[in-house]
Amino acid sequence: MKSTENAAPADVADDGTAAGQDGGSTDEQVDRRPLWRSPKVIVPIAAIAAIAAVVGIKAGTGGDDDAVAAAPHADASVPGTPITVGTDVCGQGWTGGKAGRQTFALWNNSIEGMEVYLQDVATRKVYLDVEALGATATRSASADLGPGTYRFFCIPEESEPLTGPEEKLTGTYDGPVTAGVVPITPNDLAPALRSYLDWVRGQLPTLKRQAQAVADDVRRGDRDAAERDWLTAHRTYETLGAAYDAFGDDDTAINAVPSTTVPAAQDDQLTGFHRVEALLWSGAPTARIRQPAAAIVTAVGHLRADLSTPKLQTQDIGLRAHEILENAIQFELTGRTDAGSHTNLATIDANLTGTARTLSFIRPLLVGRDPHLGETERDLAAAQRLVKSFDHGGRWTPLDRLTRGQREALDARLEETVELLSQVAVITDPRKTAGETQ
Amino acid sequence: MTTPGTGCPFHPSPASGPAGSPSTSRDRGVSRRGLFGGALGAAASAPAAVLLAGAARGDSPSPSGSGVEVTDGAASYPFHGEHQAGILTPQQSAAAYVSFDVTAEDRAGLRELLQTLTTTARFLTSGGTPPDDGLLATAWDNGVVGPEVAADGLTVTASVGSSLFDDRFGLAKAKPARLRPMDEFPNDALDRSICDGDLLLQLCAHHPDTVNHAVRQLMRTTRGGLQVRWRQDGFQSPPRPSGTPRNLLGFKDGTANPSVDDAKLMDDLVWTHGGGAEPAWVEGGSYHVVRKIRMLVEFWDRVSVREQETMFGRDKASGAPLTGAEEFDDPDFGKDATGEVIRFDAHIRLANPRTVDTEKQRFLRRSFNYDAGTDPNGQLDMGLVFTAFNQDLERQFVTVQKRLIDEPLVDYISPVGGGYFFALPGVRSEDDWFGREMFT
Repeated sequence: MKSTENAAPADVADDGTAAGQDGGSTDEQVDRRPLWRSPKVIVPIAAIAAIAAVVGIKAGTGGDDDAVAAAPHADASVPGTPITVGTDVCGQGWTGGKAGRQTFALWNNSIEGMEVYLQDVATRKVYLDVEALGATATRSASADLGPGTYRFFCIPEESEPLTGPEEKLTGTYDGPVTAGVVPITPNDLAPALRSYLDWVRGQLPTLKRQAQAVADDVRRGDRDAAERDWLTAHRTYETLGAAYDAFGDDDTAINAVPSTTVPAAQDDQLTGFHRVEALLWSGAPTARIRQPAAAIVTAVGHLRADLSTPKLQTQDIGLRAHEILENAIQFELTGRTDAGSHTNLATIDANLTGTARTLSFIRPLLVGRDPHLGETERDLAAAQRLVKSFDHGGRWTPLDRLTRGQREALDARLEETVELLSQVAVITDPRKTAGETQ
Repeated sequence: MTTPGTGCPFHPSPASGPAGSPSTSRDRGVSRRGLFGGALGAAASAPAAVLLAGAARGDSPSPSGSGVEVTDGAASYPFHGEHQAGILTPQQSAAAYVSFDVTAEDRAGLRELLQTLTTTARFLTSGGTPPDDGLLATAWDNGVVGPEVAADGLTVTASVGSSLFDDRFGLAKAKPARLRPMDEFPNDALDRSICDGDLLLQLCAHHPDTVNHAVRQLMRTTRGGLQVRWRQDGFQSPPRPSGTPRNLLGFKDGTANPSVDDAKLMDDLVWTHGGGAEPAWVEGGSYHVVRKIRMLVEFWDRVSVREQETMFGRDKASGAPLTGAEEFDDPDFGKDATGEVIRFDAHIRLANPRTVDTEKQRFLRRSFNYDAGTDPNGQLDMGLVFTAFNQDLERQFVTVQKRLIDEPLVDYISPVGGGYFFALPGVRSEDDWFGREMFT
C-alpha cells in the first residue's frame, strides 16, 4: 500500500470512508486478530483518491481523469457564513467580525477533496478542523473564538496548500472558548516514530532468544521450564503491542488470537504463542509442541526482516497510545485470549509497559498541548501498580480468582486510563502547516 | 404508574439558567470528561419549556378514579427541587436501572463523583448543545440523540445503597436508619450478583434512545469512579385500552396507588423526614425499593383467567375489583367479609386490606415491565422491575411484603434481584449536588 504512505492527516473519528479504503487493501487484513484500526481505515479523502487511482476504482471525489464539474455555488441550506475554499482560494467570504461563536458554511469549489482548518495567527493554535471536505461539498462547522487574528489554511489532496487572508475578531468574549491545539505536523511525529521503531527493533533479539528458550525446553521435554519461559517470551512480545499493525502477517504467526469456536489445543490452524500455550497447559505431548514452538522463533526472525521496511505511519503512534489498552480491555481483561495459562493479567501488565513506552516517544509533543498529560501518566502508572499487585512472584492471579471488588477496581482504573489516553490520539493527529507542505 | 387522578406535579418551566459551576480539577477516579468547563453551562441554558400535547394537564387535579393518558408527557421535568424527579413524575415509557459500586478511592473522590453526576444529569435533563472539547478530545457526546440533546422527559434519580455507608467514605454515621441490604423473603430466589449496590441510577424518559444516551454519558463522565454492578432496562406499556398500563401477566398494575397530587399524602407516605432515628439530611428523600421480579409467563398463560383473577382479586379485562364494575372502584372488603368474592389471600386484599391500620403502610409504586430474552431452557425471561417509594421502608414495603408471603401468586413469579436504596433529597439549585448534605 505504498499509495498510503503519503497520506495526509487522518481524522480518527471519521470511519465513514472505511469501506472505500478497504477496497484497496487486501494484503494485511487476513490475520485473526482484528485488533487495530488500520491506517487504511483512517486515511482521509486524499488517500482514497490515491488508492482509487492505483486499483482502478472510480473515485467521485477527484482524480485527474475523473474531473467532476464543481458546483457553481455553495449549498445555501448549510448554516453559517458562506466561505469558499479550494485549490485557488482559501477562506474567501470571511471578513472577521465579533469574537464569540463563529459558524461557517465551508464550500469546496474545487475538484479535489481537502482539509481546512482555522488557525490563530499569533498562537498557531488550530480551533476548527474540517477534514475530508469533498469536492463541491458544503459543510457547516462552528467554534467559539476569543478576539484575535485568524486565518484559514487549506490542504487540497493533491494541489499545494493555501494560506487564507488574516482576519480579525474584535470585541470581548467572556464565554468558553473552543479548545485549540498547536498543530503537530508529520515532520514533528517522524522522530517519535523512528524512536519507537528503533526501540521495537532493539527488543527483537531478546524476544528471539526467549522464544528459542521455549523451543529448547519443549525439545528437551521440560514442560515446567517451557511454561515459565513461555510467559517470559509472551510478555516481551506483548510489550511491543504498539506495533501489531506494522507486523501484519508476522503477528498472526507469532500471536494469533484463539478461535471462539475451536478449542485452541485442537486448532491446527492456530499459530503462535497461544497455540503453544494451549498445548503446554492442556498436557499435550511435548513432541506435538515442537513444531509450533520452533515456528515462533522463525516468525520473530521474519519480523526482524520485515521491520526494515515498516508500514507504520506518523498518525499511528498517537493512535497506539490508546489502542494498546483498548485491546487489552477487549481481549485480555475478558480472558478472550486465554488458552490455558490464565496469565491475562501478566499480558495486561506488558501492554501497560508498551503503552507507557509509546507515550514516552511522543511525550515531548504532548507537553504544553495535552492539559491532562500529568494526569494521564499518573493514571497509567496507578493502573500498572494495581495490575502488578496480582503478580505473586511470577504466578499471576487468574481473572476468575479476582474478587468482585478487585475486578471492579481493575476495570475502573483501566477504563479511566484509556479515556485519558484517547485524547492523545486526537492531539497528535498530524496536520500539515504552512511551514511543512511535505 | 399513572395513578388514578395523577396529574403532572411539575409544571414544565424554562431550564433554570446555566448548568452550574463545574470544577476544573479532577482526581480520584472521576474522568475529566465529567468536569467539562463552562461550555456546558452555556449549552444547558437552552430553554426546555416546550410542552408536548397534554403535558399541562396536571394543573387541574382530576378526580381519583378517572385514569389518565400516559402516552404523552412534558418535554422536560425540572432537575432542581426539594425532591428528585422520577418519583412523583408521571411515569415515562422507557427506563433503565443501573446499580453501581463506587470505585472512587476516598471521600473526596466520592464527592467529586457525585458532583460530576449532578452536572451531567443537569445537562441531560435540561437538554441543549453538548459541550465541545474542541481539538483536544474526542466528542464529549456520543451523538445517539443527534447534535442537539432534547431532554425528552428524562429524569435521573440517584439513590444510595447501604454499602455506601461502610468504612470507605467515612459516611457510617450518615446512613439512613432503615437502609440495609435487600431482605430475602421466603419466596425469593435472589441472585446476589444482581442485588444491592452503592449507588442506583434510575433513568426514565419518553424514548429508549434517550435513556441509552443518558446511561452512556453518565457512565463515561464517571468512568473511574463507578462500575456497574447490575443493570435492568424496562418499559411502560400504553393503556390497553384505557386506564392503568398492564404488566406482563396481563393485569393492570398500579391502580390503587396513592394520588401524587395529594401533597399531604405524599408527605405522609413517600417523603422521609429527618429526626428520630433518621439523620437530618434525609429530609425530602425516599426509600427506594427495586425488585426484579421474573414472571413465569409460560406457566401463567396455561392458567385459566378465572384462576388468575382469583389470585389478584381483580377482573383481568377491566382491572375492576371483583366486588366492583370499573377499574377505579374501591374493593369493598366490608361487604365481602367471608372472602367469597375477593379471597383473603388475593393479592390486592393482602397488599392493601384498606383498614385504618394499614393506611400508613401504603407506598407509591412506579414499576416498569422488563423483557430480557430467554433463559438456558428457552423460557422467556421477563417480568417487572417492581419499584416502590416509601417514607419508611420497614413500616411500608417490608410490612406489606411480609403479608404477601406465600400468596397464591408466588408460584408464577420469582423475585431474583434488586435492592433497597435511599433516593437522595432533591438538588436544590445550581450550587447544590446529589447527596451534598450527607457529607456535612
